[in-house]
Amino acid sequence: MRIWIKFAKQDLMRYLSHLDLMRTWQRAVRRAALPLVYSRGFNPHPKLSFASALPVGVASAAEYADIYFAGELSAADMEKLQGALPAGLALLCWRSVPEGIPPLMSLVRAAAWSVPLPAGVRKTEARVEELLHAPFLPVRRKGKKGEKTVDIRPSVLQLAVDRPGRRLTMLLAAGADGGARPREVLELLALPGNGLQRDEILLAAGPYLQAPMAVLLKEKEVSLNAEKDYYQLRQ
Amino acid sequence: MSSYQAYFREKILPRVQKPARYLGNEINAVVKPHEQCSMKVVLAFPDLYEIGMSHLGLKILYHIINAVPRWTAERVFMPGDDLEKILRKENFPLCSLETVTPLRQFDIVGFTLQYELSYATILRMLKLAGILLLASERDDKEPLVVAGGPGAFNPEPLAPFFDFVLLGDAEEAFPEVLRLLEEIKDLPRRRRLELLAGIRGVYVPAFYREERDEAGIYLGTKPVSPHYSSRVKRAVVANLDKAPYPTAFIVPYCDIVHDRMVLELFRGCTRGCRFCQAGMIYRPVRERKKETLLALAREMVRATGYEEMALSSLSTGDYSAITELVNELGVELTKEGVSLSLPSLRLDSFSGELAREVQRLRKSGLTFAPEAGTQRLRDVINKNITEEDLLAAVKEAFAAGWTSVKLYFMLGLPTETDEDLHGIAALADRVLQAYKEAGGQGRPRVTVSVSVFVPKPHTPFQWHGQLPKSEILHRQRLLRQALRLPGVHFQWHGAEMSLLEAALSRGGRELAPVLMRAAELGCKLDSWDDYFRFDLWQQAFAEEGLDLAACAEKSLATSDPLPWDHLDAGVSKKYLLREYRRALRGETTPDCREGCLGCGMALLLAEEDDKGVCTRADLD
Ligand code: SF4
Repeated sequence: MRIWIKFAKQDLMRYLSHLDLMRTWQRAVRRAALPLVYSRGFNPHPKLSFASALPVGVASAAEYADIYFAGELSAADMEKLQGALPAGLALLCWRSVPEGIPPLMSLVRAAAWSVPLPAGVRKTEARVEELLHAPFLPVRRKGKKGEKTVDIRPSVLQLAVDRPGRRLTMLLAAGADGGARPREVLELLALPGNGLQRDEILLAAGPYLQAPMAVLLKEKEVSLNAEKDYYQLRQ
Repeated sequence: MSSYQAYFREKILPRVQKPARYLGNEINAVVKPHEQCSMKVVLAFPDLYEIGMSHLGLKILYHIINAVPRWTAERVFMPGDDLEKILRKENFPLCSLETVTPLRQFDIVGFTLQYELSYATILRMLKLAGILLLASERDDKEPLVVAGGPGAFNPEPLAPFFDFVLLGDAEEAFPEVLRLLEEIKDLPRRRRLELLAGIRGVYVPAFYREERDEAGIYLGTKPVSPHYSSRVKRAVVANLDKAPYPTAFIVPYCDIVHDRMVLELFRGCTRGCRFCQAGMIYRPVRERKKETLLALAREMVRATGYEEMALSSLSTGDYSAITELVNELGVELTKEGVSLSLPSLRLDSFSGELAREVQRLRKSGLTFAPEAGTQRLRDVINKNITEEDLLAAVKEAFAAGWTSVKLYFMLGLPTETDEDLHGIAALADRVLQAYKEAGGQGRPRVTVSVSVFVPKPHTPFQWHGQLPKSEILHRQRLLRQALRLPGVHFQWHGAEMSLLEAALSRGGRELAPVLMRAAELGCKLDSWDDYFRFDLWQQAFAEEGLDLAACAEKSLATSDPLPWDHLDAGVSKKYLLREYRRALRGETTPDCREGCLGCGMALLLAEEDDKGVCTRADLD
């Protein structure tokens, strides 16, 4: 049985790296005595992956694990799993995944982020407007082959100030080219990144971006376009 | 949440590179409210988290203390360079991991002395914690700063810094210390130490002083009053099978050096390798029963979720039921998807059957430790392994599918000549041939790792000085030349680190000011190439009127009093001397499990009901 599990990564757990998180999950599943499925080969790995790596230090209200189990899982099993996970990694919901779906990781198209705003909301609003009207938003990025300049404007899908909540919300594309990184946008806005959090991960479903669980829920309406690795509305 | 905790976790952690080291809430970590604890202990490992968390002794003690509901044990490690800088700059004291409590708020700060190159780090940690370095200057409210581990058998270079040192096995002695301390908590510090000194294994350095004649010649370290015993006896757990052992190992988030469950099959080793301190100070061999081990293993898998288990002992292959144990464990662990690794496999107890068994579980690295290149020198060090044994074992392993092997040697052993060094190369060459003969495809990978011999206290070679640096470098060059063989990979250890190790390992209290000076100059984490600063160490020695090289190279007369003579590890000086003389004559000594050799251990065990194989109290 393959399932997607949505979980939060908060408090001290925001300091875990992607690899740390992987180890922690693998061991939690074993402690909970749930039957993982292993890859074949010389050095078998449990079939457990995550939708998208999160920068160290950033919290998240919506992380996703994509796991293959041998056999069916019950709600009691999920409780056991929660019990085996360290505080700060809270299971939120899970759904079984129909056959033929590629790794969740490969379906991710965007993520929603938010950060509390310090004083000067109005100034930030003005700056947000400027950014949204700019034709290009070049940022410097360090790669394997030295530094290069990337235009992240096409990857900034939404940028808004939530006045009553005093938060900045961002919808940023993710992708092979790296999309836009929340810290890059914050830097352009001259905002500190304290309290940055990921609010949701989004997959493409036809012309829409949808949360992974929503896509699974609408199994009847959407189907996977295997060639392009995204969901499309059923004809 | 204490204010320290909130500030550390919210304001400091976001700025450090590897915050996962400092979270303190790993699975199986124990967090207790301090107001409900009558004894608060912080176990300090003077190295980075990745090293300290790989250490079994710390886990055993952590478990034993925390098993008592009214006691708490937390952990602290040397912070990484980035965090240390922040702590210094912001004047934030070094705190425990679990509750982020400053070290000085604990009753006991317990350091483990695993290797000499960690000694300066201890002082740095005390400074970061804001604890006075000198035990004599601490007042009644400050914690007791204590030490244990193998280094406790010559803690003299650190003597002024510790309130007491625990010699030997801590499983029974440490709880005894805590029970007593609970009762006498309100007494003045000095009085508490006086009472503690009555517990077997407890050594209070302040109650002993170095005596010298008018010419300044060292006469020995003697008790300051007849009230204290002239030799402090080591604490021994006679029945290891009944001793507590942790199964709920803390499971780190980040990658550490040995990230797995560890099953300790037995303690002690009686093969009698003459360079090996562990083989002398942990006598006699005490095994856990196979059934006990299987039950522990099962519980461990459940409690940790680890994917790998290591069998650990000084010479794991010597466990009396090793084949049965590996077979039965293998069956159980495979079912759970857990692999098994046998890290310190001894080649003479390594059978082809076992090789295949282990390999079925995991193709882990295969290592052998012939230690010396010729039979003559192996006889000198009492490494009772022949070349035929080695080659037969290697061939079996190659036939079973291994393609790489690592061979450990030592350079600079007493009586070593160029011929012995060429012997290392010849052996490596024969291992290459053995691969072909075993029908191996292509070329195997043979790693030859050569460390520098460091004479250690309480061993037959304790009187022997280390080689001068120029000679070490010369011999390393010679080896590098000789080992230019296709498929052979040569690894060597830095001469300078070994020199410092040697200088500290056999030193006395005269080295304490050197350590203080070195820590002031910035020395720390000296076993890491990135941090080791030989020049600063030389400077520290020189400023205190000592010469580092001379300290490392000094040979001692067998009639000289030694700085650790007042510490009784069990093995008598007489026995060590007999072994030293046999070594120089090239005579080997059999494993005492085949017949007690009267090493002195039986005397130390005199009051125990269970002396095992130790029968001969006489010494010739
Ligand atoms: S007393 Fe005898 S049996 Fe015991 S460790 Fe010493 S030599 Fe071995």
